[in-house]
Amino acid sequence: MKNLLIALMALAGWVVTEHAFAGGDAARGKEKAGLCSTCHGPEGNAPIAPEYPRLAGQPDDYLEKALRDYKSGKRKNPLMAPQAQNLSKQDIKDLAAYFSGLNGDLKVKY
Amino acid sequence: MRMRIVTLACLSFMLPLLAAPLHAAEGDAAAGKNKTAMCAGCHGIAGFRTAYPETYHVPKLGGQNAGYIVSALKAYKAGDRQHPTMKAIAASLSDQDMADLAAYYSGK
Repeated sequence: MKNLLIALMALAGWVVTEHAFAGGDAARGKEKAGLCSTCHGPEGNAPIAPEYPRLAGQPDDYLEKALRDYKSGKRKNPLMAPQAQNLSKQDIKDLAAYFSGLNGDLKVKY
Repeated sequence: MRMRIVTLACLSFMLPLLAAPLHAAEGDAAAGKNKTAMCAGCHGIAGFRTAYPETYHVPKLGGQNAGYIVSALKAYKAGDRQHPTMKAIAASLSDQDMADLAAYYSGK
């Protein structure tokens, strides 16, 4: 009985980690970032227009939320909506992992 | 033909109107620094997470493009981006406030 309980808890733990906290793969994100760079600049740090954001160094969970919201339409933007439509959940995590790991000009400023 | 000339004339008068949004309020970084009271409590703390309605780390503002900061604030104000706290804060800002804050955060 005790063993069964332990097994169940381990299984629950695995399910939670796999599904809620599955991390992004920065290397795969880099492979998928070609289209992003055309506007956000190489390594997400030199956008081609002042209205476009730098991405390098932003927190991964923030970038992930932004792409999720563009995809769902919760965040309205005619340029980003179609881009995000083409991304899977895993693509979003991978891209977020890649851009958050880059060192750019962004910093916390009080 | 004549109609076409009239149309072209009308369009040429409208061109400056189309360009108008590009001449947004000029930002003053020093003035912006005095307006950060509502921003700093979250964006001024490294690793800070917003908790409502979703939990995630708030974005870094230092070094961000000024034009983007203004467009983000306007999007919150208009409801094109949804975050209750940011909507309330952005709604309280004038175009000049937004430009000043953007000038401050984007500066070195």
